[in-house]
Amino acid sequence: MSTFELSRRSFLTRASAAIATTAFGSGASIAQTVPAPLNNVPEGAKFRWIDSGDQKAVFFKKFFEKYGEARGIDIIYDPLPWNEIAKVVPLGVRNNTAHDVFVLPRNFSLADAVSQGWVQPYDEFIPNIEEWKKGFPSGAFLPGINEFDGKTYGLPFTSNKRYASHLLYNKAYMDAAGFDPEAKPLTHSEFREAARKITEAGQGRYFGFIIGGSQLNRWADVVRNIGRIGGASAGGDGILDADIDLRTGEYVFDSDEYIAAIELLLAMQSDRSMFPGFINLNAPQARAYMPQGAAGMILQGPWNIPSWESQNPDFDFGLSSAPVPDSGNQGKLTISQGGAKPNTISLWSGSENGAIAGEIFHYLGTLEGQIEWANVVGAGDPPIMPEAVAKADMSPRSKQILNLFNDQIRVGPNPLVRNGEMSKVVAAYVAPDVNFARTVQGLVAGQLSGVKEQMSELKDRYNSALDAAFAKAKADGANVDRSELVFANWNPDVDFGAADY
Amino acid sequence: MRVLGTLRVHRFHYLMMLPGLVLAGMFVFYPIFAAMFYAMHDWSGFTAQKIFVGFGNFLDLFLDPIFWNAFGRSIVFLVGTVPLQMAISLVLAMVLNMQLLKLSTFFRTMIFLPVVTPVAVIGIVWTFLLSPFNGPVNGLLLDLGLVSQPIDFLGSTQTVMPSVVGVYVWKWLGITLIYWLAALQTVPDEVYDAARLDNCKGHRLAFYVVLPIIKPFALAILLISSVAALNVFPLIMSMTNGGPFFGSEVMEIFIYRTAFAADDGSIPQLGYAAAAGVLFGAVLLGLTALQALAARRTRMATAGTKA
Amino acid sequence: MIARLSPKRIVFGDHAPSLRITLTSAILALLCLVWIYPFLWMVSTSLKSNMEMFANPGLIPQDFMWDNYRRAWVEANMGRYFFNTLIVTAGSVFLVTVSTAMLGYVLGRYRFPGRTTFFVAFVATVFIPQGFTIIPVFELLSMMGLSSNLFGLTLATSGHAMVVFVVLFAGYFSQLPKELEEAARVEGITFFKIFWYVMLPLARPMVVTVVIMQVLHAWNDFLLPLVITLANPAIRTLSVGIYAFKGEQSIDWTGMSAAATISIVPVVILFVLLQRYFINGLAGAVKG
Repeated sequence: MSTFELSRRSFLTRASAAIATTAFGSGASIAQTVPAPLNNVPEGAKFRWIDSGDQKAVFFKKFFEKYGEARGIDIIYDPLPWNEIAKVVPLGVRNNTAHDVFVLPRNFSLADAVSQGWVQPYDEFIPNIEEWKKGFPSGAFLPGINEFDGKTYGLPFTSNKRYASHLLYNKAYMDAAGFDPEAKPLTHSEFREAARKITEAGQGRYFGFIIGGSQLNRWADVVRNIGRIGGASAGGDGILDADIDLRTGEYVFDSDEYIAAIELLLAMQSDRSMFPGFINLNAPQARAYMPQGAAGMILQGPWNIPSWESQNPDFDFGLSSAPVPDSGNQGKLTISQGGAKPNTISLWSGSENGAIAGEIFHYLGTLEGQIEWANVVGAGDPPIMPEAVAKADMSPRSKQILNLFNDQIRVGPNPLVRNGEMSKVVAAYVAPDVNFARTVQGLVAGQLSGVKEQMSELKDRYNSALDAAFAKAKADGANVDRSELVFANWNPDVDFGAADY
Repeated sequence: MRVLGTLRVHRFHYLMMLPGLVLAGMFVFYPIFAAMFYAMHDWSGFTAQKIFVGFGNFLDLFLDPIFWNAFGRSIVFLVGTVPLQMAISLVLAMVLNMQLLKLSTFFRTMIFLPVVTPVAVIGIVWTFLLSPFNGPVNGLLLDLGLVSQPIDFLGSTQTVMPSVVGVYVWKWLGITLIYWLAALQTVPDEVYDAARLDNCKGHRLAFYVVLPIIKPFALAILLISSVAALNVFPLIMSMTNGGPFFGSEVMEIFIYRTAFAADDGSIPQLGYAAAAGVLFGAVLLGLTALQALAARRTRMATAGTKA
Repeated sequence: MIARLSPKRIVFGDHAPSLRITLTSAILALLCLVWIYPFLWMVSTSLKSNMEMFANPGLIPQDFMWDNYRRAWVEANMGRYFFNTLIVTAGSVFLVTVSTAMLGYVLGRYRFPGRTTFFVAFVATVFIPQGFTIIPVFELLSMMGLSSNLFGLTLATSGHAMVVFVVLFAGYFSQLPKELEEAARVEGITFFKIFWYVMLPLARPMVVTVVIMQVLHAWNDFLLPLVITLANPAIRTLSVGIYAFKGEQSIDWTGMSAAATISIVPVVILFVLLQRYFINGLAGAVKG
């Protein structure tokens, strides 16, 4: 028997479904298979799993229900937003009440988790694990990322190849404004103009651009990605290097491209094209306004696609790149090699349910499991195996956005891969209180002024914080210095492979 | 032997205090000492590693403008709400105390309603009411022609604190009202009768007759209200999260943010948060002591003149 | 019957209508509208659909969406959170009232070594807001293995706000006359029985006050349950449960309003029924 912790997430999903009067159309085809038994699973065991939910929750709820029933275990699934995960997981580990399987808080690396004894390897729970690993694309399992001392600690089952601030727009409003971003991505000035025209047409009923402005990371994401597309070749997606040009090892906060991105936001703000009250909306609230027709454009992630398609089937929306520079020259977005870090799951060191976790991990790492995953989750969290993407039953929009990602995203170097001791720097690093995201928020909301000055001060703050982290790591015995952040041979336009290190 | 003797003589006293002392020891006194201990350490709370830094955290705090701003905002909040709340509710209490006002109980119930409503609910409902997008408050202001553009009450640093103060006073006015009503009940009917004979009415009755009688209650009400105004965390958390750009970050939010809720890329700093708590607590304690001292001095002075 | 309930009678009672009362009542009615509008808005929203909420700013919903309530109760776990809050409130009221009454009684009426120390310690900590001690409290509960269950939450909710009550009880007990106690002692009644059967009933106004203040505290408390329930969403209280709506991946505004309505209805009913005791009780606190 499986009792289900019906969370608010399901409440909300069903709520919206009820409103749209169409329950999940694809509901019947979700997660039909249950993995074959691999291990001896203790009958009646209580197994807990926590991740960031969203479209993933749609898959896991169905899957856990079937699986739990088949194996006679009780599975509790807690899909929580990131700001709660940041508290729940560390507290759980500290209290010895952690979930059996968890994702790590966004500012915590698996290397830290291993050194702190939070997680245990799962090799022994997957028979013939080396064979199984061969099914993954190369670079999925990497020492220093998800393997430590020859043991496997993290499961990279979704692809990293996506970005969280591409354009999603209301087609009717955009048509009326006279733009077609699907034919050609909007330039900065076109983007501003579109926002202005949509707002004008809305006459107070809807607005050109919306952003979840109380959720700080949205500001960093948007500016960083517009900046990168503009050509500021900031590094990977790590905690340290996200805004560092890894060719030189220097921060790019005050680069022309980043500044242009902020100026675009400021211009929309002074045009009054931004949704009123955006500063107090979190990302979910902002996203929810889109299908309700209260805003015309949002820079957000692919997870909106399956969720809007199932819950708001009447909402006609289009997809495109984040705004590109007026000159038309486009840079690439950089990601780290391997799986999507936020979705990488691990087994808690105190868990006695490794056998169960092993079965589920194994299933998620088979082509069959990956296809089932892609069928439900779509482009939101694309599976890591390209073959699964090809074989999955995905909506045209999902395929469209994955093509865009293939086109815009390249794998960059990862300092952690070159030198595992860099994880000590990551652990020692404390970002400044007034960080990148807050500074952008302050500038757009008008609490700060002078983009150039603020960004160069920001750069100074980050440099001191980074130097302090290096000093601390060195004092801790790590053999590192800032040259670890320089990859002189890196070309941002092509993938950086294992041979390039 | 004498210690044992004392213990035996007073064994019932100590025994009876035991449950309360255990509870207070665990949740009042121990935490204060523990916070002082944490405050001396560099500790993220993420890891098991605690590094002793002595007064390092306090030194950092002294140089941290964000801490002092939060500190200032807590004080502003206290000074902004308590007098307002006490004054409005006193006037209301005097009106509601009129014997001829038959609807008094009804009005009292209405005003008390927010007091019994969980703060989280209040915060969320008011966020909607104050919203610049279809919010009823802005709708009213626009309809009345008082503003031409909706005001982003919670989204601008100029309006966020006044808005939160307003909602706070709205929420807790009922309780202060009840305190004043209770105080007014102690005014004997004869006083009113005498005043009527002297043809003393309206504000003169209020100022020269009633107020002096209920003055002693003011101190108790002030104390209770001030304690309450420092626990404003839930309201601000559910309305603004301390934003925009620290605009409503009071001390409790500062502590919570540093201790638990890390922004992107930063790590919780439990030691630093504890130090902030200790420092703020110490300043409050100092202020309370000063206030008590001043009160005693004035009392002694007035006692002196009376004698 | 009808004559009795005429509007005129409601406003003026048996007295002749007067302009002053009419005017005062009208102004107060307007003021009360400000006070209850948010509640009307909340109830109205809880019966609208998410679409209608933005399209129709009026208070009367087009269709009554009772389903919002079913969702809030069943699927958002409001039922469970309600039950949790009830347990924490009842448990902490019992713990706090009994322990602070006993403590206040001894501190207020007897002289013994250590009394001054205890008393000063309590008075000195009245002003320390709970936000400042939340970290050690959580650590303490973790050490005791109580950091993510209802018992731990109840204990901490009791301990956090007790200081004021101790001071209030001590003050109240110290004013009561000594004779009753002495008479009882002459008759050979034990110390505990004197407290329980003689003194505690005398302190009823203060007991009522403390019960009410603790109910309000437990029902309104937020930071403590927020932190304690982080690792175990199953033991969330209503306040935390409603707040958590805001952090979700998508927002169901009307369901949230329904949940909010659910959370206040019991307290409001309780308050309307018990309002006389409530207000007289609180009055006792100020007088004491």
